Amino acid sequence: MAFLDIKGVSKRFGGLMALSDVDMQVEKGEIFGLMGANGAGKTTLFSVIAGHVAPTTGEVVFDGQRLTGLSPSRVCRLGLCRTFQIVRPFAGLSVAENLRVAALYGSGRKLTSTEVAAVVDDALEAVDLTDRRDLDGGQLTLSGQKRLEIARALATGARLVMLDEVMAGLNPTEISAMLTTLERLRTERGLTFVIVEHVIGALMTLSDRILVLDHGERIAFGTPEEIGNHDRVAEVYFG
Amino acid sequence: MKNIGLILGVALAVVAAAVPAFGTPYMMGVVFQVAMWIALAQSWSMLSATTGYLSLGHAVFYGVGAYVCVLLTGTIPFEWALLAGAVAAAVFAAIVGLPVLRVRGPYFVILTYGLSELVRHVVMRIESALGSFGRMIFDVPRTEVLMWWMVGLAVLATLGAYAIRHSRFGAGLAAIREDEVAAETVGVPVTRLKLFAFIASAIIPGAVGGLALLRTSYFEPAQAFDPVISFTIVTMALVGGTETVRGPILGALGFALLSELLWSSLPQLYMIVLGLTLIIFILFVPRGLSGLFGRLGRAG
Ligand SMILES: Nc1ncnc2c1ncn2[C@@H]1O[C@H](COP(=O)(O)OP(=O)(O)OP(=O)(O)O)[C@@H](O)[C@H]1O
Ligand SMILES: [Mg+2]
Repeated sequence: MAFLDIKGVSKRFGGLMALSDVDMQVEKGEIFGLMGANGAGKTTLFSVIAGHVAPTTGEVVFDGQRLTGLSPSRVCRLGLCRTFQIVRPFAGLSVAENLRVAALYGSGRKLTSTEVAAVVDDALEAVDLTDRRDLDGGQLTLSGQKRLEIARALATGARLVMLDEVMAGLNPTEISAMLTTLERLRTERGLTFVIVEHVIGALMTLSDRILVLDHGERIAFGTPEEIGNHDRVAEVYFG
Repeated sequence: MKNIGLILGVALAVVAAAVPAFGTPYMMGVVFQVAMWIALAQSWSMLSATTGYLSLGHAVFYGVGAYVCVLLTGTIPFEWALLAGAVAAAVFAAIVGLPVLRVRGPYFVILTYGLSELVRHVVMRIESALGSFGRMIFDVPRTEVLMWWMVGLAVLATLGAYAIRHSRFGAGLAAIREDEVAAETVGVPVTRLKLFAFIASAIIPGAVGGLALLRTSYFEPAQAFDPVISFTIVTMALVGGTETVRGPILGALGFALLSELLWSSLPQLYMIVLGLTLIIFILFVPRGLSGLFGRLGRAG
């Protein structure tokens, strides 16, 4: 059974089908890419998986445990955490304090204060924010806040992390730095990632497999090469 | 500098201990008042300073405590009546907490105010249906005893507020204040924590209401649930500063002293001064007296 198994998930917002009968299987240790034009339903899928939005039909199973119906905090404590496309730092808390909250609550078990400090330091290190640890979350640049989102998800001890457009709004230098960071996370940690990215080059480089959504429906699935050569994807995605 | 809140709390206890030696009933009354406002403002801060859910209805816990206490005094020792008041306030908070804490920002402010007023009117109806227009209490403990109890509650509330802020619980509450959705996402059980904070902030006001009742030895719903109590708590906490535990202490001290001065000379100015001070602090000293002193302390 897949590490993350999404079975026939649909989500209706009034008259709009944001997701229609989506199936998706993520294997342990891979980077799974999620692609699709604006409004395709990528963020909605993240919200359904993380427990922020209840699916109209279908269910989500993570590591053998059914997530559907659980609160986001419960989902996080089971080891699955997402970041936000529109960043949501704890703006008035320091960067280190942002991560401390995640370390204190994210794992679902009580850590000692030494363990918490170690988790915080490790998460700072992982995204190169160590020298900004005492700044307020709100004082970081957009690139810094995107990194803080990632670090906070890491600090929860999540085994599967969903990154929603962590490169959007960054300049080319910041994008290549972020790519380096993500490559490093992939090689150094045994984590599983689901990533959404409009920066196609980065998505192709990072992902092991890619699923393409269009208007809430699955239209293609395969390796980056297969997706690159897919007619329907080229048509829908590149106009 | 860091533990100044605790130091002030202890200092207050020492002052109170010295009072009976040279103290007049008037002095004991002043200490009682100051301790009362510290206990209330500190309790309020356990919910409102930590989570940012500003309660404008804390008089309801004070009133519930006073009411339960007046119903019980005479039948059981007053200490047990006070405890019952505290428990009743906590139970009340636990019952209304979940629905009330579903709304945020200005809606929460208005809802807590409305709830407090609702309970006030219900109790007034009950009392008048029973044909009671205020209840006298006989055989109340001496002022000195009451003062000691109140000082104890002030110290307890200060220690409680300090402990919450420096705990895992407090870190979760701070995250809720900053961004509830993000807090939930990183594993903070938001609903449960908010409810715990709401209950924690209700307990001591319940006992304070009971003590205040014993001091006046008279219960009248309009007084016990007076919204001015809620306004004063909020003003004191905001003027003192909500970022540290010393804030509510400074705010309560400042106001209690100010009110002693004003009541004796210009009573009609009290509410005006209360309002003006609040406006000035919100506009120009958002971090309160505590922030002001902290800055002067660092500069000096
Ligand atoms: N809470 C909501 N209520 C109503 N409609 C919504 C809601 N959230 C999303 N939608 C709609 O659902 C559709 C999918 O939105 P979603 O944000 O999932 O797209 P996306 O693939 O993440 O797009 P983008 O690339 O722009 O981030 C859109 O048409 C959006 O307007
Ligand atoms: Mg999106």
